[in-house]
Amino acid sequence: MKAKAALTTAIALLVPWAVGWAANSIDISEELDAQYGYAGDVKTRGAGMTTGSVDEHNAYVKYVISPQLNKNLLLRFGCEWDRLTFGVPDGAPVPHVLQQATAVLGFDYQVADQWLARLEVEPGLYSDFQDISWRDFDAPVVLVGVYLANADLQWVVGMRIDARTQYPVLPVAGVRWKFAEEWTLNAMLPNPRMEYEFNERLLLYAGAGIEGGTFAVGENFGSDHGQPKLDGAIVDFLEFRVGAGCSWKVTPRITLEAEAGDMPYRDFDFFDPDIEYRSHNAPYGQITCHARF
Amino acid sequence: MTRRVACLFLIACAGLFGPAAAVAGSADPVEAIKNFSGFQQIEVNRLLRGEVLSERDPAMGFPNGISAQTCFAVPLEADEAAKRLQTWDPAPHPELKVYAFHALHSPCTLVDFQPLDFKNGPSPVRWLLDETVASTPASSELNLTRDEAGKLADCVRQRPDARVVSMCWANLLSARASAYQAKGLAGVSPYEVGSETVSPSDQLRTMLRSQLAVSHEFLPILKKIGLVENEPDPAFVPFYYWTLFDADYHGTISLGAVYLLPINDHFQLVDLEYYVSGNYYTSATLYEVWPVHANGKSAALVWRGDYFAAPTLRFTEGTERIAYGVLMLQDIKKEIHCIQDEAKTRR
Repeated sequence: MKAKAALTTAIALLVPWAVGWAANSIDISEELDAQYGYAGDVKTRGAGMTTGSVDEHNAYVKYVISPQLNKNLLLRFGCEWDRLTFGVPDGAPVPHVLQQATAVLGFDYQVADQWLARLEVEPGLYSDFQDISWRDFDAPVVLVGVYLANADLQWVVGMRIDARTQYPVLPVAGVRWKFAEEWTLNAMLPNPRMEYEFNERLLLYAGAGIEGGTFAVGENFGSDHGQPKLDGAIVDFLEFRVGAGCSWKVTPRITLEAEAGDMPYRDFDFFDPDIEYRSHNAPYGQITCHARF
Repeated sequence: MTRRVACLFLIACAGLFGPAAAVAGSADPVEAIKNFSGFQQIEVNRLLRGEVLSERDPAMGFPNGISAQTCFAVPLEADEAAKRLQTWDPAPHPELKVYAFHALHSPCTLVDFQPLDFKNGPSPVRWLLDETVASTPASSELNLTRDEAGKLADCVRQRPDARVVSMCWANLLSARASAYQAKGLAGVSPYEVGSETVSPSDQLRTMLRSQLAVSHEFLPILKKIGLVENEPDPAFVPFYYWTLFDADYHGTISLGAVYLLPINDHFQLVDLEYYVSGNYYTSATLYEVWPVHANGKSAALVWRGDYFAAPTLRFTEGTERIAYGVLMLQDIKKEIHCIQDEAKTRR
């Protein structure tokens, strides 16, 4: 409650035309997503060598608060932390940690009768957190449009813009189609799934997951790991997961998910010196919590 | 709280300083609509060509509620359009997924519910059948009082087949409809959902109170129905109905009453769902119908407001709530197009 009051005051101070709005009651929604996952040991190969077995712990927390400025516009403010920790053998030229700590700034807007749009910028640090400098700063932008065809069918189109990656503009598309009472094809990135509604609280699903990001490694990362070309390099990290799980609505506002499966592909792509380290097929498990207030 | 006091104050003032019919009886329908609605740009010629104006309302400060407004034209004289809206049967339009719609006599009898049949129903109707059989006084997915849940469980226990379930529901619906016909909203029993008690009448009143300008505009008819802190007018008899339809893959039965009040040259209607078997609590649809003339033709200009209360809305916030409103408006527009098409073809 205090947070909401403080936010109202802050917005009123920053945006003069919002004073009148802030004086009235405002609708504020909050989102909290947290995830922990583990992928087992798997041999990682690249640059003509095998680095040995690498396992992975990943932890993720995102919190967003959304004040509704008018009936068509919601602002989005928040923060996100995503940490990938790799158990790598000594001297292997694979980062021990890839981490992002960012702000979340954006808005949701109803642009037309059946179209909603989201613009989100995540400025912050994307790095191995060895020696923080301006090179670690990035601000990728995600722009997404959702077409609400009807209650059972929604289309998503959009793009991710990140000047620092090998592919600065990535188009995205998806669909959510409830084609039967219990069945929904939820083909939305980063977690496309086929869902089966067992009952109002329990959902079973099978699908895929994509974990990715672009990070700067330390100035001496390459030299310290026998690959001087990798000093201060940018690495595109990409990982696919294929698995099955269940989603349990603990309360109408809190959902817990647990899933397990196989990670068929993981890639550390240092695209400037053109050195890649890849892994294939490791078991993984993860738990996720989504809360909406 | 402040808002509620302000609402009561305005309504009281409306009563003191002159009949609301004076406002409602405004000569220019377009100006009248602009005065109380969210529509500030209304081009009657475009509406006569079939366009439907639509607006999601801002959040109403009532977590279970959502509302939307539309404005459209029907190629009929205003009185004819109003009469058709009062008794309009959506069942012939498969896209609306209404399986049955029947008028009720006043006083109603069990015979009125004879067409209710769960046998060979589509999947949503089978869902309702299963939930009925599974209901107990302690636990039910349906909107029932504990007493109703107990009676339903006893009734179904004897032989839980479709014919018996239809008969048990007919008894329950007949009792609810009779209570409404005798006492109006005061006869509507609250639902005893889990540990909560939910009164559809209170939900309707709260939603309408949150829309001050609309409540003020519709004060004449709301007063007669008894929705504005007063006794209903017993001489004001609505069209009573029951209906069975698909609400998000769930079979749903509702009992409703559509009131029609002529005011000078135009008409106000209120369609109240005073009982809904599940999925949502209640809804109200308000219409104001004016005569308009354009290009030598007469037509009816209609403003419509939809108010809808559902338990899931309490947990639907932010962008999800916007999406919910968008989808709600799509359904409303679908219904309006059916009404317009019928008016065109049956003219």
